[in-house]
Amino acid sequence: MREEYLLAALRMGAGADPVPEGVSAAARAVFGLRVPGGVPAGPVDVAVPRGARSADGTAQAGVRRFSADGLVIDVETAVSGGRMEVAGQVSPAPGPDARIEVRTPHIGKVRVPSGSGHFAVAGLPPGWVSVVCHRPGHAPVFTRWIHVGP
Amino acid sequence: MPTDNSFTIIDQTAWEDLVARFDGRMWAVARAFGLSAADAADAVQGAWLRLVENADAIRDPERIGAWLVTTTRHEAARLSRKARGEVASDLDVADTALPDPTAAVVDADFGRQVWRRLDLLGEPCRSLIRLYVLHPEARYAQIAVRLDLPVGSIGPTRARCMARLRALVEEEEAR
Repeated sequence: MREEYLLAALRMGAGADPVPEGVSAAARAVFGLRVPGGVPAGPVDVAVPRGARSADGTAQAGVRRFSADGLVIDVETAVSGGRMEVAGQVSPAPGPDARIEVRTPHIGKVRVPSGSGHFAVAGLPPGWVSVVCHRPGHAPVFTRWIHVGP
Repeated sequence: MPTDNSFTIIDQTAWEDLVARFDGRMWAVARAFGLSAADAADAVQGAWLRLVENADAIRDPERIGAWLVTTTRHEAARLSRKARGEVASDLDVADTALPDPTAAVVDADFGRQVWRRLDLLGEPCRSLIRLYVLHPEARYAQIAVRLDLPVGSIGPTRARCMARLRALVEEEEAR
């Protein structure tokens, strides 16, 4: 029995520190974030050369690579001035009819990828983020949710 | 072979039932890591997000509670490392196939049993753990003042007391 489970049970038994309603509401809303028929892209633990964007002066930055269904999605995140920027590249380039959706639990933004498959979104709240690649005639491919701290 | 992520076996109502059943446990486990309310909220939300990206996990409804609590613990540990300034890769994925079976018992009923075990401990364990449990935001310095103990002794004493409590609980379970 892990110590944190004992501590959690003690708090529950005493009714101390109950779950805030906002946390429960956020949990209920997560169901709406599923991608029906989507293909999850798992992380690929390889070194990705920086270059998609500059991370100078940002609080947190890093490149992550995800892969599924013949697609590679590189995602780079940075937080500046309390807002999150997400940039990256889908390869092979998915074409002009594709759409890249950058999602947080609160807001999603859609971009048309460049000819080389690059995309960028700014002004998102820090926290959990996932990227979905929508291509005509293909199942959507979505990255695992990653956490970007403020 | 792509994972079926269609969630054909669960709808919004069933999802909300899961939230009602387990979010209190998930929150308590996240907070047990000493996370702030904001970080604990992120850990809990992360576990739910892992569920929507991991449809396979829901195919065994009997184990879903243990899976959610185990996954919350994993996300909380990762956020706790980040909060301490340590490197915490978000590429390490919890083994979703193997939920911790002890996670299944984390609930208020079990908590009341543990309180009865706690009453068997002497001082300062009983008061220290009581303070720590009932005041999640309390810092060691505040607990030290309340118990008239050196602040440097609070961490080691708490660890020793929790170990004794765990032994009592496990002894009870073995009977």
